[in-house]
This record gives sequence, C-alpha cells and structure tokens, in this order.
Amino acid sequence: MVDVPTQTFRTTETGPDWDRLAATSRRDRRLKISALTVFLVAVSIPIVLPYFWMVMIAFTARTGGADADTLWTACAILVPVTLAYVVGYQALSARYRTLGLIAAILIAGALLWFFLGDDLHLNNFRFMINPNIVEDIRGAATAGGQFPWVWTAFGNSLILAGTQTVIVVTVSTLAAYYLSRFSFRGRSAFLQSLLVLQAFPAITLVIPIFLIVFWVGLLNTLYAPILVLTALELPFFIFIMKGFFDAVPWDIEMSAMTDGASRRQAFWMVVLPQVRIGMIAIGVFSFIKGWEEYIFVTALRTGNSYWVMSTYLYYVREDVMGVDYGMVAAVSLLYVMPSLVLYLFCQKYLTQMTIGGVKG
Amino acid sequence: MPQTWEGIMRHFMLIAAAAMAVVGVTAEPIFAEDVTIKLWARADRSGPLRAGNIVAAADQMNRMFEAAGSDTRVKIDLIETNAAGFDADALDLLKAHSVGDTPDIAVAAHEWIGAFVEGGMLANLEEHISANASMYSDIIPQLWESVKFKGERYGVPQDSEVRMFFMNKDILRAAGKTNAELSALEAAVNAGEFTMFDWCDLAAEAVESGAAKVGWVHRPNVGPDFQMVMASFGIENYNKAEAKLQITRSGLTKFYGWLKYCVDNGSLPADMTTWSWDSTHAAFRGGDSMGKFHGIWNVGAQMESFGLTGADDYFNKIGWINAPAGEKGGKPQNLSHPIVYVVGNTPNKDLAALLVGMASQPVPNTAHAVGTNHTPINYGQTAMPEFIEKGWALVAGTPMLKVAGFMPNHPNIGQYNAVVFTGIQAVETGEMSAEDAADMVIEELEVELGDAVIILD
Amino acid sequence: MNHAFVKPQRTHGISDTVLFLGPAILLLSVFFLAPIVVNIFVAFSDMARTVRFEDFPTTQQFNKLGKLDPEALLGFELRGSFYRALALTGTFVFFTLFIFNVTFALILALTTTAVPERMGAVFRAIWLLPRMSPSIVYALLWLWVIDSTERGLFNQVIMAFGLEPMNLQLDHPMTVIVVANGLIGASLGMIIFTSAIRSIPEHLFHAARADGAGSLSIIRHVILPALRWPISYITIYQSLALLVSFEYIFLIMGPSRSTMTMAMLSYTKTLAPGIGGGLYAYGAAIALILIVIGIVVALVMWRLTNMKNLLQRPRIEVR
Repeated sequence: MVDVPTQTFRTTETGPDWDRLAATSRRDRRLKISALTVFLVAVSIPIVLPYFWMVMIAFTARTGGADADTLWTACAILVPVTLAYVVGYQALSARYRTLGLIAAILIAGALLWFFLGDDLHLNNFRFMINPNIVEDIRGAATAGGQFPWVWTAFGNSLILAGTQTVIVVTVSTLAAYYLSRFSFRGRSAFLQSLLVLQAFPAITLVIPIFLIVFWVGLLNTLYAPILVLTALELPFFIFIMKGFFDAVPWDIEMSAMTDGASRRQAFWMVVLPQVRIGMIAIGVFSFIKGWEEYIFVTALRTGNSYWVMSTYLYYVREDVMGVDYGMVAAVSLLYVMPSLVLYLFCQKYLTQMTIGGVKG
Repeated sequence: MPQTWEGIMRHFMLIAAAAMAVVGVTAEPIFAEDVTIKLWARADRSGPLRAGNIVAAADQMNRMFEAAGSDTRVKIDLIETNAAGFDADALDLLKAHSVGDTPDIAVAAHEWIGAFVEGGMLANLEEHISANASMYSDIIPQLWESVKFKGERYGVPQDSEVRMFFMNKDILRAAGKTNAELSALEAAVNAGEFTMFDWCDLAAEAVESGAAKVGWVHRPNVGPDFQMVMASFGIENYNKAEAKLQITRSGLTKFYGWLKYCVDNGSLPADMTTWSWDSTHAAFRGGDSMGKFHGIWNVGAQMESFGLTGADDYFNKIGWINAPAGEKGGKPQNLSHPIVYVVGNTPNKDLAALLVGMASQPVPNTAHAVGTNHTPINYGQTAMPEFIEKGWALVAGTPMLKVAGFMPNHPNIGQYNAVVFTGIQAVETGEMSAEDAADMVIEELEVELGDAVIILD
Repeated sequence: MNHAFVKPQRTHGISDTVLFLGPAILLLSVFFLAPIVVNIFVAFSDMARTVRFEDFPTTQQFNKLGKLDPEALLGFELRGSFYRALALTGTFVFFTLFIFNVTFALILALTTTAVPERMGAVFRAIWLLPRMSPSIVYALLWLWVIDSTERGLFNQVIMAFGLEPMNLQLDHPMTVIVVANGLIGASLGMIIFTSAIRSIPEHLFHAARADGAGSLSIIRHVILPALRWPISYITIYQSLALLVSFEYIFLIMGPSRSTMTMAMLSYTKTLAPGIGGGLYAYGAAIALILIVIGIVVALVMWRLTNMKNLLQRPRIEVR
C-alpha cells in the first residue's frame, strides 16, 4: 500500500516536483514495511525459538540435563546470517539471490561446525536402534520391556493417520459432490445440521463415544480411533469440499454426460481432477490430526493394548525426562518430522482454503 | 506427485504395506493346549519382580506339566502399564474390568480391594487358601488383614514396607546440628516431644543456612503416605464399627494448617504437587533436599546416588523417623502399605491362584524383598542367609512398624484419598486457606461419597 | 462414447444416494448423533466404573453441580467446585478469544498482507507451526520453556534482563494456558482473515488511496467491513471450540486445580489416563451442559449470519 504524503510539496516552475514526491513515498513505504517486518519478527521469534531449541538439545544434550548454551551460540551465528541474507535479498537483483542464499547457508554451516562441532553427537537417537532405552539408563522396571521399539509406535501411527485420511477424504468428497450437485428433499435441513455439527465441538463427546465404541466391541483396536476421528472431522471437510465442487462449472460435467458418460463416470473422470487441491488440503489436515491424536487413542483403550507415537512420547517423557532430556528431544524430533515435512510441502494448498463459499 | 487417482492409490497402498511390515508380527510355538493367563502389573522400578515372580512361577509350572507328560502349557500375557502410581493403575484396572478385559492376576495396592470386589472383579480366595495351606501358612498373620473385605480374603500379600521421613544428616550437620542432637531426634519423635511443626522448622533451618536448596519433599500425587500424617493430627479415616470411612473436620483443618505452615516457612516447595516423581527423587538423592517423606524401598537407590556401602555408612548419612506427632504429647504414626496379588473372577482363576501361591514362596519373595527393600511376607524368610546379609535395612525398619496401621479396604477409599489430595493441592499452592480447603474437601466428600463417609467435627 | 450405453438416470437414484451420501450419514449418525443421545441418557443415570445403567432416571449428578435453594438468586446455588470450574472456563474463553484468537489473528492477517507476499507467507507459515505440530510435542516444548529452574528458556531470557527466575506454572497458570491455547487459536483466524483480505478487489484500495486515505483509514473503511462476516464466524466458532477444549490444558498443567475448567473437570473425572475415576455419569452431566451451550450457540450463529448463500441451488437438477 502506498501512502499519499500529506505534507505540502514544493512546486517548481513547471508544477509539483513529482520525482521528489515519488522518492518520499517510496522511502515512507520502505520504512513502513521495515517496521512491520520488525514487529512480525519480534512476535515470531518466541514461536520458532523453542522448536530450534529442541533440535539443538536433540543433537547436543548429554545425559544429565539440558542447557541452552549451545542454543544461544547457534542463535548468535544464525541470526546475523539470516538478517544479512534478508537485507541482501531486498538489495540484490534476482540473479544473485540464489547465490546469496547458498552463500548464507554455507557460511552458517561453517560457523556452526566451527563453534559447535564438538558438542554435536547422535547418541540421543539411539532409541531408533535400541528398544531398551529406559532399562539402559534407569534399570528394569518390568518383567517385559517397558517400551516397545519406537518403530512399532511409528508404524501404528502411520496406519492410524493414513487409513483415517483415506477414509475421510473419500467419504467427504463423495458426500460433498452429492450435496453440491443433487437436489433432494431435506437437503437444506441436512446442510443446516451439518453446519451446526461443524460448529459443535466434538471433544465433548469423549465419554459417550467411549461407551458406544465399547458396545460396538471395537475397544482396544486401532479401528476405533480411525473411525471416530473420521466421523468427527466429516462436517468440516464436507463443507470445504462442497465449496470446491461449487466452484467447478457444471458445463464440464454436462458436456461429458451429453457425450454419453454416466453421472458417476463424469464424476470420476471429469469433476474429481478439478477438486484435487481440495482433496490434498483436507488429506494433509486429516493426516496431521491423526498423527497427533492423543485423547482418543488413550480414552478408547484399556492397558497398553497398542502404542502410537503420541503415547510413546508421553510415557517416555514421564519416565526419563529428568535424566535424559536429549533423548526425549530426539524422540520429539522424530515425531514432529512427518507433520512438518507434510505441512511445508503442502502449505500453499492449505492457505488456499476458505470457509467454503463465503462469496457463494 | 502422481497425476492419476490410480497412482495415488497405489502409492498409498505401498506405504501402508511398508508400515505393516515395519510393525511386524512375531510367531511363537503353539502347543496343543495353551492356557493364557493375563497378568496386569505396573511398570515400577521398585518392584520389577512382582510380575517377574509370576512369570517365573509359570515357567516352573510348565516344567511340571512337561514332566507329567501333559500337553498343557501356561502362557503369560503381560500387561504392564506406565501409570504414575498405584492409585492411577487401579483406576485403569477398573476401567479395563468394566469393559470386560478383566486380567487373571493383577498386582495392586491393597486398599483398592474394596472397590475391586464391589465392581465384581475379584475371585474369593478363602477356599483356595484353606485348601493350599502348605503354600500359605507361614505368612505373617497381620498381613492377612490387608487383603480382607467383609471378613473374606480376596488377595495374597506380596510385600509390605515401612514409611518414614528420611533426613540427610550431612545437610543437618552443615546447618550446625551436632551428632548428639541428631541421635536424640529419633527418641524425641517417639516420645511425642518433637512434633510436625518442629520438623518443618528443622527443614527451614537447613534451607536458611544454605545447606539445602529444599527443606523436604513429599509425594507429588495421590497416595497412601498422607494417611499417616493425617493420623498424626488425629484423623482416623475408618470407623470399624459402622464399616464406613470417616473424617474429622478439626483434624483436617489442623493438617492443612500444618502444610500451609511448612510452605510459608520455606521448607516445603509451594508447587510440590506439580513436581514429577523424577524431580522428587532427584531432589533428595541429589543432596538438594534435607528431608523426604516416602518409604523404605528408596534405600537401594539412595545408596547408589550417595555412594554408600553398608549399614553403618548409610545410617551415618541418613536418618529415619516416624511421622512425628501433630502436637506435643501426641503419638508418632506410621503406615504399612502392602502390595498384593489379586486374582480376577475369570475362568482361569484356579490356575491363576496357584501361580500366585507359587510366586509367594520364600525364595522368590526374598529375591524381590531384598532386592528392592520391602519387608518379607513369610516368617521363614527372616532366617534366610540372603536376608540376614542384605536385609539390614529391613531389620532396622521393623521396630518402626510398632506404630503402623493399614489403610482400610473400603470401596471408596481411593476416591477419599483423591479428594483429600485436592485439598493438599489447594493449600500448598496458596489458593485457599486451611479452613476453606477443609470446607471444600468435606463438601466434596459429602457430594461424592454420600453415606459412605461419616463427618465428625 | 457409444450412445447405446447411456443408462437412464432414474435407476441410479437410490444407489447414488447410498453410494455418495451413505457412508457419511452412517459415520455421522454412529459417532456424532448417537453419542449426543447417549450422553443425555448417561447424564441422568449413575453410571460409574461398572458400565451399567444404574438408577435411571435420576438427577443426582446434577445435584453434585448445584443444589436447589429457594432463597438463592435463580432458585439454585452452584456447588463450590462447579462454580470455580464455571468461573475458570469463563476467564479462559474470554481472554484467549479476545486477545489471541480474534484480535491477534486480525493483527497478523493485516500485517502479513501489508508486507511483500513471500515474506508474509513465511510468517504465516511460522505461525501455523504450533497448530501443525503434534499436541504432545507442543506441550513438551511449553513445559521446557516455563520450567521453573534456570534451565527454562523463559527464565533464561528474563534472567538476561536481570530478573529473578519465575515459576509460571505455579504463579500464573491461567496466563500459561491462555497463551498456549492462544498461539494455536490465532493461526486459524489468521488464515481465514488473510484469504478474506486477499479477496477484496484491488480497485477498492486504489480508489481509497486516490481519495487520500492513510493506512489506518484504509483498514477501517475498506478492510474491516469486508471482514465482518469472517470475524463473527471466527468469534463464535472459536468460542465454542475453547469452551470445550482441554487437551492442551491437560498436557501442560495436568490435573491442577488452578486450571480446572468445566471441560477439564469432565475429563479428569472420567477418562483422563491415570486420573480418570470413571465417574461417567458425572462427566456426562457436565458434558451435557456444554453440549447444550454448544448447540444453542451454533444455532444462534446460523440465525445471525447469512448462511443462505451456502445453500445455493444445486447445479444440475436431476429430480
């Protein structure tokens, strides 16, 4: 946004001094953007810093406690380098920006290696190879192993999140298509109730869902959280997909159908590819939700019938937090990685989502 | 990114297949007749053999079957939970039972037997115990009281212990106490001269002198310990005549008042109830805290952290006292809290009960008792060489049991303890005054327990 | 395509409905609608650890929340613990909503759209990080940051400024949970507001500037009117979500009395791992109150906002 300067301008013989005005307003604009940037950086640092600290602890902490000295050293290196890059980004032309990025990364890497190389180690990641992580540090507490191998929990989380994603994407896409294209009696009532359900916070229903899952006989299985999470995410996702379907002009379908395709074939081959972005967006959301789920996986089981990453991290933390911060940080890092990677790669799809038809 | 739906489906199938391969399944040889016994225990560093002894008993039984030429084998299905305490574990156990997942054998804290029986979870062991007297008749008779509900036995004691206030004598010496004063302390406690308030004053002195960072610590969650300090303030939590729980308003107010006193004079951390077990243990074992209110099984870990060898070394560094009296002239208190084996009311209960009997024999029980400093359940164990050699701590603790009581096996005792704990939380964090906290706790007890609790003034 | 293979549409009618809408209806009924009904029944019984319908119907659970007292203001008096839970819930929802979920989300949306697009995208990506990371990890990071010893990150920072280490969990528990939930809540509002701002036609901005409007004026007269609907949507939606949220409170503060909101009370009495006493009817009674509030507010939202355009007529009228 450009500010119109309010001060009076000097006129020359030929009229107002446009060059001077333009220069002033460019300067004002740069100042404003710089101020906003400083503000945004200031509020974003408290968010990024703990994650970065976790990464540093995972790679540097030794049994016995966490300290943040390595963190501050790393910050002292990375912050100037990043600032230099950001400033340079504005000043340099496009050709040199990539070079600048590579240079910044190399310089940061070299400095980090020089100052922190001695502290870095991979010992905290030994839980990936050795299942007896707790017994080795603290002694046996059980007749069997106290914790499973982390990959068991990882695999279960993958199954939970993956299956749930597939089901919820399928079901909500189908339902949204129907709602978008077909008219039937009770349609508006159905949509109204979906809206109420979407706004209705599902976590209130933990107790009755526990009872229902018990009566259906699915307690202590992975099917229970899969189905429950699917159902609870449906209203929101149906609305999002409906928004995407509404935006697809129906003449594409119509022309396919006049060409002889059945309704379903038109749906599968013509319409569906158009809403790919929506499906990716809700797929990512639901995978991340399934990956992080803690409440329903603990409520819908008795004893330790299955382990997922969230319960694994929770109990490992409870047990060895005081003794081995580093390993807990390393487990967290492993746990966070898939969410982070998925999120970063699909980020642009996520921000394209609206609340389904604000403008109709 | 595959462009077609088939592509995406195929990708997902590959990933799912890979995931399943990672999870993996182990195959075990299956015999013609496998009896699976579900064993539920808590992952507890101070008692890995509680479950371990049952597993060993199952192996022994399998050898008997093999020798007898039978095809039957016993297979133990271990369910080991990560609950933070026996109260937490009992709640998880009840939840499992309520949905039909009753284990055949469970390791539990004895006071929950009432709640278990009322929930229909336990098998009555009277017949089994009488029929198998050779396995059980050496068990110390008082211990049977801890497994009785309405006069019948529903479990077998697995161990017991002594609880005490530990004192780090080195810290007290650094704070200026002489050896003479320290030796006189125990006698003063037993005579009722040294009170609870004196204990907090002592701890505060240690902090003020700079010898300790923290005065003393207690358990950060719900548990049996608090019964003995409440008893010091005159609260008798069970009315035997009417078989109901009981609470005394004035005693409760004094108890909470004492806790507030301790927080205010700097000896007890105000956020004690939010600490983790890790930091609680570390505070005492790391030499930061002058005192710790817990139990005898800590001795092994304390010796390791302080690098102590043998009884003399240990008692030179660490002293034990009963819970002092609440006011001068009162009596010190102690608590013995047996852990028990209970047998579920399941089709396999007879076999399970026999396994429990086998695990309660002197040799396995001594392995557990001496290894983790719990008191033995059979008289005969005290004559075993291993016990005499390594059980010096237990021998030293036995006199303290003279003033020990048990918790009542009332079905609502768990709830009672949980509600009292909320009062402790409120008072220590400074949220409420002692009177308000007592009022709140009594109101909650009335609401939640109704008739099951008698409220005295 | 061979015209001879075109099937008449009518025969697909029912099977279309079953195929497309069936799974959704099935899942929603079993796991959404049925639980609401079940909750009503359970709340009026005395179901506790044994999962049996005892004493149905009875209002004894509600008796634990408040007692009838003809002399009291509304005819009943709330019991201490429930009153506290109510007050804490109100404080928690109010402050989180107005400081973070709405206001700060708005500030973030405005600032990240005012800077160049790529930079704005980077900052939005950063602010989505708490929401995208698993709840346990987020809670763990919070616990490390507010650790009351010198190791806590927060204490390290304030000690660098010469202040004493603080024990945030003990002294400022509500602040901790408000900020912790707020950082997550702000991100949803930020996305919604950003996309709404981006959909404002450019020419409105040009016209405003040509009329001599400064930045603040543009915000007031161009942007905020366009955001009226998203703001009210977010306010209502997030207030409902906050009313019943307990996951982060549980993971960060545990069953601490100082943060025992209504939702936490319900959870810790029933299914919280290791603490849940299995008092299902009691928890269901509290949940019932929350459900009623949830449905009422959701219906109010339906009324107050113009939802008609979401119900636009379908594209292809087949029947």
